[in-house]
Amino acid sequence: MSNLEPVIAARALTKVYRRGPEQVHALDGVSFEIARGEFVAITGASGAGKTTLLNILGCMDAPTSGTLRIGGKEVQSLGEGARTLLRRQHIGFVFQHFGLMPTLTVAENVALPALFARRKVDTRVVELLDRVKLLHRRTHRPHELSGGEMQRVAIARALINQPDLVLADEPTGNLDTATGQSIIDLFQKLNSDGLTIVTVTHNPTMAAAAKRQLVLSDGRLLKNPVGTG
Amino acid sequence: MSLLSLSLNEWRRRPLRNAVTALGVAIALAALFSMLAFHEGYRDGMRGEIDRLGAHVLVVPKGCPYDAASMALHGANWPCYLKSSYFQEVLHTVGVATAAPAFMSALYPSNGLQAVYVGVDERILALRPGWKIEGVFPQRLGELLVGSDIARQQHCHLGESISLPGLAGEKGVISGILKPTHGADDTFIYCRLEDAQTWFRHPAELTHILVRLTDPNALNETVGFLRGCDAGMDMNVVPLAHLFRTIQSLVNSTRLLLGCVALIGLLVAATGVSNSVLMSVAERSREIGVMRAIGASRGDVFRLICLETLLVCFAGAMAGVLLAFVCSRGLESWLRSRLPFAPSDALIRWEWSIAGACVMGALLLGIMAALLPASRAAELSPIEAMREGSRV
Repeated sequence: MSNLEPVIAARALTKVYRRGPEQVHALDGVSFEIARGEFVAITGASGAGKTTLLNILGCMDAPTSGTLRIGGKEVQSLGEGARTLLRRQHIGFVFQHFGLMPTLTVAENVALPALFARRKVDTRVVELLDRVKLLHRRTHRPHELSGGEMQRVAIARALINQPDLVLADEPTGNLDTATGQSIIDLFQKLNSDGLTIVTVTHNPTMAAAAKRQLVLSDGRLLKNPVGTG
Repeated sequence: MSLLSLSLNEWRRRPLRNAVTALGVAIALAALFSMLAFHEGYRDGMRGEIDRLGAHVLVVPKGCPYDAASMALHGANWPCYLKSSYFQEVLHTVGVATAAPAFMSALYPSNGLQAVYVGVDERILALRPGWKIEGVFPQRLGELLVGSDIARQQHCHLGESISLPGLAGEKGVISGILKPTHGADDTFIYCRLEDAQTWFRHPAELTHILVRLTDPNALNETVGFLRGCDAGMDMNVVPLAHLFRTIQSLVNSTRLLLGCVALIGLLVAATGVSNSVLMSVAERSREIGVMRAIGASRGDVFRLICLETLLVCFAGAMAGVLLAFVCSRGLESWLRSRLPFAPSDALIRWEWSIAGACVMGALLLGIMAALLPASRAAELSPIEAMREGSRV
């Protein structure tokens, strides 16, 4: 990906679902850009379309119309295989429910995306666990960790394939305030190191910690004119 | 870490369910393995037994030819006899290369062991080229050639004079000891034909005649000549190749039925495996969704579920082969007690090729069982899968 190119460029994205006879406009003409190194929070009330937008940005869903460029590549019409490849190579995910494999150790969980990418990552796993301060827990299983530790493992896992972009869906949603703050701090640290982060959040502290907010209401973007904070 | 270690982790997560599922495969596979091992063992045992007899045709008194063949092969008391004079007619029939007259009788001495006496003359040696005799073939009155098992049990030595088991007051001298033949001969006591006829008070009578043909391909023709000779009406001419085929086909029909049952068992086990893996996929749909989100392709998920299924089937197959091995002795004695005609060789034949074929078959079945759950898992969209209560 070129450094000048925005990591994400969305133009008039719409997503329409059918719910029985009725059509639901989950996204309605959403346009924005996210530059490399930004930390962006997507906020809004429940049902505003935040998670739908995140799923589309993460290439897990396709928009009904509009264009989406990730790292300069148009992705809205990519097939399943190409979208998987894009996710694998360029995007890291952090989930509200952590999404750790209960049968794997901390180190194995971190290394999992690399297995699918057919990469050898032994030293990088150590490096990332050290970065999230969980090296001493490398052989532990998720049920032996606290919520904050699990989320830090999930963050390390999101970084294993050196993505251009990390997408987080309510990363503090399952954590108490103090633990949530430690995750926010970690995101800020990663962002200060140059990582592009887009997070969906209800947490005002998290939203405030982001450099920019995209506020969604009924599928439309309220705030944030393209390219401005 | 590899897909294989991920699959092994899944086994550790639900050990009981996986063990029960694998047990189903193991039981079905043990049944199939035993069937195949029995097929091999019975066929080869029959063939070996008939080969050891050294004859192409057995001439016996009128009656059931299978009973007569069984008696000649395993040793027994015969209920009726042939006249000794028939032997010359048999010997001079066109197509007969050589023939050996025999008089057989079985006794049950007080020690409970069966003593089978077979009176023969030196012509028997032409039919048993494989015999290795320590000492000499009986030539004088009371001389005995004992089978290796008898010699071992009775601690016989060459030249030793012994009381004949079951024949009170009669004595014999060991002139020869047969080296092990791994057949019924090991348990027989051979003596001169005249001695056997005298001891059992059937002078000028035989129990059977072993016949070797000049050309085994002309079996039907020679059998026709034998049946057409003057004595033909009073004796039963049993071509051993036909006997082998008939007994095989009798056993084959039962075996086919049991084979079908074993195969159905295996298919039912495969359905159980498929169902168990489907349940596991349903329970892990969120995990599968996460894997898809973090970069697993549909192919990765498909391979992972296939591997998990194959692991269950492989474990089941190995346990099944082991189970069949452990149960083979019991099964063998049960079969022996049920079969009307069982060769003395092992009925259940342990062959690595059969074990390998069974394991391969189980893996093939595992692939078939994996197809449905693996495709369902691979088709899961990451978003759908990550939603709670996702349906598989």
